[in-house]
Amino acid sequence: MAEHHDEHALNYKIYFKTWLWLLVLTALALGIGYAPLNESIKALLLVGTTLLKILVIAAIFMHLRYERINLILITFAPLILAVIMFAFTFPETLGNATHLIRVR
Amino acid sequence: MDSSIAEQQRILASDWGGGKSPFGTSWSKFMMWIFIVSDALTFAAFLITYGFMRSISPEWPKQTEVFNMVLITFMTFDLISSSAVMAMAVAAARAAKPKQAVQFLALTILGGLIFLGCQAFEWTHFIEEGATLTHNPWGVPQFAASFFVITGFHGFHVLSGVTILAIVAIRAAMGKYSADGVENAGLYWHFVDVVWVFVFAFYYLL
Repeated sequence: MAEHHDEHALNYKIYFKTWLWLLVLTALALGIGYAPLNESIKALLLVGTTLLKILVIAAIFMHLRYERINLILITFAPLILAVIMFAFTFPETLGNATHLIRVR
Repeated sequence: MDSSIAEQQRILASDWGGGKSPFGTSWSKFMMWIFIVSDALTFAAFLITYGFMRSISPEWPKQTEVFNMVLITFMTFDLISSSAVMAMAVAAARAAKPKQAVQFLALTILGGLIFLGCQAFEWTHFIEEGATLTHNPWGVPQFAASFFVITGFHGFHVLSGVTILAIVAIRAAMGKYSADGVENAGLYWHFVDVVWVFVFAFYYLL
């Protein structure tokens, strides 16, 4: 892996370009945030831009694209477990669940 | 148990046969990744809990009216920029250019300090307007509670990151410098940025 790094080592241009793309994605997220959209569509679009952003950061800034597949797969664990936690808890919110929190 | 000698040799020759690193990294980088994965689980739990509380609340204040979104957007810009500069510091360290690495590290630390300053300013305002963990003037108590817990936990990560980066930068300036050390600190810093991307999208924009 180390040899691979060195080839790209002093190529700052890639990080500069990545930075610009991240700013574009941030602007896109801001646009979605302010757009007059239905809340669930907004949530879906924001999940999309956020996942794209973390993919770019992980692949390029965190050098995950140079790592072995074994390490890359480990990093997916939190995402999978978060989906499971979401799937197990959110059905509770569908009914009248206000008794679960203190409103005042 | 009909594993022949050939089968045994096949297993020993594989990544998992022992004596090799199946992950192809140094132990320190691998440990940093394991830490990041476990820390990501903590933040995932926070954000899902926040989403859950928000879904069951009868109403939720409009964040864009409560918070100064120009400041929040600037904080996002600041953290993304410091992450990019950190990536350059790692590249300089890998290329055995300690002087450049220290300069980039100093810029990264500056970005972190600016972020912390903005956050202190934001918290002060929010508290002065009457927000506490259990009450706030805008709506359900969970609104301010999740703000304090999520941005507080993230802010503490930024503070730890600045501390770690300062130690790495000082050591690099003294010549006690290892590219692996800079890269591991960088991984943590990028992770802090990743978390903020989530907080920005789901707490402030949604």
